[in-house]
Amino acid sequence: MRFMVFVRSPKPMAALNGDALLRAGVLLDAGDLVPDALGVSGYWLIDVRDHEEAVERIRRIPLPACVVEIRQVAVV
Amino acid sequence: MGATTSVHRTIDAVWRMESAKVIAALARYTRDVGLAEEMAQDALVAALEQWPTEGVPRNPGAWLMTTAKRRSIDQIRRRENFNRKVEEIGRDVQEATPDASEGIEDEIGDDLLSLIFTACHPVLGTEARVALTLKMLGGLKTEEIARAFLVSDATVAQRIVRAKKALADAGVPFEVPEGPELAPRLASVLEVLYLIFNEGYSATQGDDWLRPELCAEALRLGRVLAELAPKEAEVHGLVALMEIQASRTRARTGPGGEPVLLLDQDRGKWDWLLIGRGLKALERAEALNQPPGPYYVQAALAACHGRARRAEDTDWQRIATLYGVLAQISPSPIVELNRAVALSMAFGPAAGLALVDEIAGEKALKGYHLLPSVRGDFLLKLGRTEEAKAEFEKAATLTRNEREKTLLLARAAACT
Repeated sequence: MRFMVFVRSPKPMAALNGDALLRAGVLLDAGDLVPDALGVSGYWLIDVRDHEEAVERIRRIPLPACVVEIRQVAVV
Repeated sequence: MGATTSVHRTIDAVWRMESAKVIAALARYTRDVGLAEEMAQDALVAALEQWPTEGVPRNPGAWLMTTAKRRSIDQIRRRENFNRKVEEIGRDVQEATPDASEGIEDEIGDDLLSLIFTACHPVLGTEARVALTLKMLGGLKTEEIARAFLVSDATVAQRIVRAKKALADAGVPFEVPEGPELAPRLASVLEVLYLIFNEGYSATQGDDWLRPELCAEALRLGRVLAELAPKEAEVHGLVALMEIQASRTRARTGPGGEPVLLLDQDRGKWDWLLIGRGLKALERAEALNQPPGPYYVQAALAACHGRARRAEDTDWQRIATLYGVLAQISPSPIVELNRAVALSMAFGPAAGLALVDEIAGEKALKGYHLLPSVRGDFLLKLGRTEEAKAEFEKAATLTRNEREKTLLLARAAACT
């Protein structure tokens, strides 16, 4: 299953420690979104077995004060 | 969802994420993969008992590691060589476990690589390597592996027990092979990953979610290996091959489950994200400037199709050249048959027919239905309809697939 992880962070995505996702073989894509008034935002696209694994993997990443939203990607 | 169910699902997720790392680290201390796997399982049982009532620890990976190490000590104490090993492990545990919040993520790479090489050791048979890899590296339960391979739980359990015993009996060291040993051992690892991938990829029927899950697991393990061994071009080649092949999953079957041939597939259904990842993996392999291996060449072949947005845009000349390279690295009549098809697409059916007639006497192709099928196709394109008809009929008698037989007989009937 694919999950889009939206991160609203004061730092760009490259500054966040997403390497663990890469080393675990679950990171498909990552990128920054255009900053808005609330700060810098970006995303990780991950491929994991289920929602619990998505949550656990993101929970392990030492993020600064961030708002994180995890959404499953629909398969067309 | 009840609280206990929720905790169990979290434990499942944590286990899939952490079990390989826990087993790998324990195996380094105990030098015994079988014992390491058993102790990791014991830690899982402890988690299942304790976490639903006490809550999931803040660092569940470290908790599993600490618990498993303590159980290893208890276990080894019961063994004859307790004095020597307990001293080593006791020291390691004391050094490694007081701070349960300490992450194990960054220190585990070499151990994980050693575990991959151990689970895929050539001393084991193919089925044993596959089962052990899924169990120890994929974190799959015995029953999940059994369901994936359509065998009984007992069969898989037995394979795993025997595999661990075979490793112990052979005295397989827990280490990353070096020097001349590395190439054959790496080939064994790659073979296992590709077998797992193909087992899932060929499962076009049934509603068991685990078979496509095998593709995903093989891909994930391949990506992990690519990060652990970034200087091995064949690893990137295999990852590229699996990414590109996986990209076609949704286009490979029609509404009735019937197979759809590559050139007939709706490319709008291909997963272009995976194709892009496959092409990048191929670039990583090329950048290493190593002699081309079979996975790299197969990935390059898959990439020729992956780069073509329409079937008619396919670079058949490059495909024919690549099959020539593959035929040199891994000589096989099947590769030559594929090369004949590519030659036909690139230079016309006469070029393909010439090669097919060269290899027609090969023992390995005797009884292989695709030989007369391909030959019939070339003959039909050359206007030699009577000969084409005979070839299609011959192919129909050789195939064991009913759908294919019907198709071939229809082609024969159309040769007028």
